[in-house]
Amino acid sequence: MPTLTLPRWLSKAPAAAPPSRASLRIGIPRVLNLWSTHQFWMGLFGALGIDPRNVIFSSDTSEEQGRQFGKGRGTVDCCYPVKCISGHYGELVFGQKQKLDILFSPMIYTLPSFMSGHVARTLTCPRVMAAPENIKAGFLKEADVFAEAGIKYVTPFVSLDEPPLVPKQLFEGFQDVLPGLTRAEMAQAVGEGYQALQGFNDRLRRKSREVLEWCAREDRACLLVLARPYHMDPGIGHEIEVDLQAYGYPILWMQYFPTDPDLMDWAFGEDIRAGFIKSPFDIRDVWPSSYSSNTNEILWGAKVAARIPWIACVIRLSSYECGMDQPTYTPVQQIIERSGTLFFSFQDLDSTKPAGSVKIRVETITHYLEKYAREIIARKKAAMAPGCPLAQR
Amino acid sequence: MATATTEHYRAYTPKPFTRAERDSVTILFGGLHWRIERVLQAVLENSGYRARVLPIATKEDLLTGREVADIGQCCPTSFTTGNLVNFLRGEAKQIGAAEVAKRYIYLTAGSCGACRFGQYHQSYELALRNSGLDAFRMFLMAQDQLDQKAAMGDGLDLNLPMTLGCLWGIFCTDLVQDLEYQVRPYEVLPGQTDAVVKDSVEYLYEVFRNRPARTPYRSVFWHLTTPYFTRALREVYRKFSQIEVDRLRVKPKVKITGEFYLQTVEGEPNYNIHRWLEAEGAEVYPAAITVWMDYLLRLGLQRFEDYSGIEKGARLKLGLGRVAQGIYRWTFNRLRRAMGSLSHEIPSQFELRRLAAPYFHSRLDGGEGDMLVGKALWAYHRKKAHMICELSPYSCMPNTMSIGAMAGVVGRYPDLLYAPLEIKGDAEVHALSRCQMILTEAKKRAQREFDDVLARTGLTVDEVRAYLDAHPEMKRATYRVPHGDAAGTAANLVLHVARRLGRRG
Ligand code: SF4
Ligand code: SF4
Repeated sequence: MPTLTLPRWLSKAPAAAPPSRASLRIGIPRVLNLWSTHQFWMGLFGALGIDPRNVIFSSDTSEEQGRQFGKGRGTVDCCYPVKCISGHYGELVFGQKQKLDILFSPMIYTLPSFMSGHVARTLTCPRVMAAPENIKAGFLKEADVFAEAGIKYVTPFVSLDEPPLVPKQLFEGFQDVLPGLTRAEMAQAVGEGYQALQGFNDRLRRKSREVLEWCAREDRACLLVLARPYHMDPGIGHEIEVDLQAYGYPILWMQYFPTDPDLMDWAFGEDIRAGFIKSPFDIRDVWPSSYSSNTNEILWGAKVAARIPWIACVIRLSSYECGMDQPTYTPVQQIIERSGTLFFSFQDLDSTKPAGSVKIRVETITHYLEKYAREIIARKKAAMAPGCPLAQR
Repeated sequence: MATATTEHYRAYTPKPFTRAERDSVTILFGGLHWRIERVLQAVLENSGYRARVLPIATKEDLLTGREVADIGQCCPTSFTTGNLVNFLRGEAKQIGAAEVAKRYIYLTAGSCGACRFGQYHQSYELALRNSGLDAFRMFLMAQDQLDQKAAMGDGLDLNLPMTLGCLWGIFCTDLVQDLEYQVRPYEVLPGQTDAVVKDSVEYLYEVFRNRPARTPYRSVFWHLTTPYFTRALREVYRKFSQIEVDRLRVKPKVKITGEFYLQTVEGEPNYNIHRWLEAEGAEVYPAAITVWMDYLLRLGLQRFEDYSGIEKGARLKLGLGRVAQGIYRWTFNRLRRAMGSLSHEIPSQFELRRLAAPYFHSRLDGGEGDMLVGKALWAYHRKKAHMICELSPYSCMPNTMSIGAMAGVVGRYPDLLYAPLEIKGDAEVHALSRCQMILTEAKKRAQREFDDVLARTGLTVDEVRAYLDAHPEMKRATYRVPHGDAAGTAANLVLHVARRLGRRG
C-alpha cells in the first residue's frame, strides 16, 4: 500500500529541486487512464519542482482536434479512445502558443485500485498500456516530429499498482530530462503523488456518500454510471449522464463510489458469510478472470448497484470496438437487472454524439424512472438486510 | 421491467471433474495445429485419460461463435467458441445434452493477462448457456497456475510428467513442422512430404503414448537425459531422408508472425494461409510454439529483473529462471540436433527484445508484445525471410498495438516487406489479395537475389544442377544447406555449391 511506504520515503526527503526545473513546460495528453491518475502526476510534478502552471493538459477530445492535429498520423484502426490520441499529441506539439519542453505520455501498466489485493491483477487494457508506443509511431514514421519541434518525448513504463517499483521506473524515465534528479528525490515525489491521488479519491468518495445519504433520507432515486474513466471526457462519453442530470437525478460514477467499511459490510456481508466472496471487493462470484483493473471495477460497480436500493438505474457507457467491454455486456446487465434495477446501455460510442438517439433514450429513461423508481427502491430495500448505514444519519 | 430477486447473478461454476470419472469422460481440446494436437492426445492418453481433438474450426463455427456470444469479440474467440458449440450440438443430437455433459469436458488455455484470452470463460459460458448446454463442464487452465484442483476437481492431475510430456511434444512437433515447410515446396514427387509427415506424426503419437512412467522428480531427470526422444527424432529424420528435393526452385521465403492462435492453426481461421502461400509459390517459415513459450518465459523473468535491488530474493529468482530458460533452449537444441539441425533455430529472446526496444517496450504484454516487432526485424537483419506475413485478428486488442508500432519500423526500414493481414474469418478475398501484392514483390526480390548470387559466384544454373547430379546426397531433404548470405533457399544452395567448388561468393 502506498501509505505504508510513504513514511520511509518521506524520511529520506532530499533538498529542494534545482530551480531550473520550474521553467520546464510539460505537456500531457488528456487521454485514457490519465483521467483517473492525473492527481498522481500533478502531485509528482509538484514535488519535483515543476510549476503546476507549466503542466499543460491537452483539451477534451473533439472531432475538430483530431482533424486539425491528428490527421494522417493514425497507424491502425481501433477503438476511438485510442484513435483520438493522435489529435491530443498533435495539439501539444503543434498547437501551443508557448513551446513545450517535454511531451509526457506514460505507459501505465497497472492501476492503483481500491480492489487491489482482492482481485487477480489490476492491469490496464493492452491498448491503454501500449497506446503511447502505437501513437508515437505516427509521429516518427516520416520524420521525428518531436525532435523537429525540440520536444523530448518521455514515455516511462509504470506499474502504478506496485508502489515499490514506481520510483525506479520513473527515475529511469526522467533522469535524462530533469536536471539533477536523484533516486531519493523521485521516491519522495512518488510518495507525494500517491498521497495527492488518495486525497482526491477520498474527497470524491465522501461527496458520493453525501449524495447517497441524501437519497436515503429523501427516499429519492439516483443513477450510477458504469464506464471507463475516460468516458468522463465529453468527447468520448458525450456527456450522456449530463443530459440525465438535467432532469434532476443525482449521478454517481462507479470510480468514486464510497467504499466505507460500514457500507461495504452491509452490502456484501451476507455474501461473505455465505462463502461466495472473501471480501467486499472480491468479484469471483461474477467474474473469475479478474485481471483488468477498469473491468474489475465495472463488475464491482454492477454488484454495488444491485445492492444499493437508491440506485434505481444504471447507465453503461462503452466505446465502439472496445474489446475489454465486449465479454462484460451480458454479466453486467444480468447482475443489475436481476436485482430489479433499471439498466440502459450506450454501446459503440464513437467520435460523434448520437444526439438523436441519446435524446430519445434519455426521455425513455426518465419516463421509466418517474414511473418505477419508488417501486424499485422499495423492492430493493425489502430484498436487503435492514440497517443500511446510508439511512442511519 | 425486471423484478427484484434476492438471488443475485453468479458466474458459471462447472461441477468438478472427479477421479472416478476418468474412465468414462473424454477430454476435448483443440485450437492448435494437427501435429501437436495428435501428440498431446498421446500425452493425455499416456497419463490415463480419454482424449479427443476437436475438428479444425470452420467458417460455420465462426458464424455460430458470433451468434451465441456477445457481439464484438475477437475472431479467434468466435472461432473457438463456435467450434466447441457446434461439436457439442452435433453430439447432443445423437445422445442428448445431458449425456454430452456427462461424457465430455473441455480443456483450454485460460489466462495470459488482461486481453480477452483471459476472459474467454465468459464467451464460452454465454455460448453454452445460449445453446442449452449449461451443465457442460469446461475448464480453463491458467498458464501461470498449474495446480488448479480447487476449481477443476481431482479428475485432472496436471502433474510434472504430463507437463513435461506436453513440452517435449511441442518441441518435437515444432521441429517436424519446420522441416516439413522447408521440404514440401521443393519435393520432386508431389505429396511425398505430406505422406512422410503423416507417418512421422503417427510414429511420434506412439512414442509419446508409450512414454515410460516416472515419479515427478525422476521424470525431470529422465526427460533431460534420455535418448528416448532423440532416437525417435532420428527415425523421423530417416523418414524425411527418403524425400528428393529440387532446391533450385527460386521461391520467396515468407515468415509467419502474428497473434498466437492465428499463426498456429492451419485451416479456415487463418484462410489456410500456410497452404495458400505455398500454392502461390512461396516457402513458408512457420511460427513455432517453442518460440512463443520462450517469450512467455522471458516475460515472466522480466518481472524479477524489475524487482532486482528492490525485493529480496529477486536476483536469485532471476538467476534460477535464467538457468531454467537455458535448459529449455538446450533441450530444444538437443532435439534439433537429432534432426540434423535442419529446422530453424529459436531466436534469442534478448536479441528480439533489443531489436524491438526503440519501437515497443518489452514490458507491454498481451498478444506477442515486442516479440512481434523483434521477430520482423530479426528476420530482416539476419536474412531469414524475404517477407513477413503478419496475421492480425479482427478486433484484437494487443495485436493492433504492435502493428501500429510497426509503422515506425517500416518508416525506418522501407525495404522491409511487411504484410499485416487483418483476419476476420470471412473476408478472405480482401486479405489474400493484399498478401498477393506484397508476395509479388517478394518473388521479385527472391529472383533478384538468386541472379545476384549466380553473378557473384560466376555459376550458371546448369553448372549447379550438374554438381548436384554428381552429388546425389545433396538432393536429399535431409541434406543441410548452411544459411549463407541470402534469405532464399535456392540462393543459399548456390552459395554453398560455390564454396564447395572453392569459388568466392
Ligand atoms: S478498454 Fe476498450 S475503449 Fe479502452 S482502450 Fe481498451 S479497447 Fe479501447
Ligand atoms: S490476443 Fe487478441 S485475438 Fe488473441 S485472444 Fe487476445 S484479443 Fe483475442
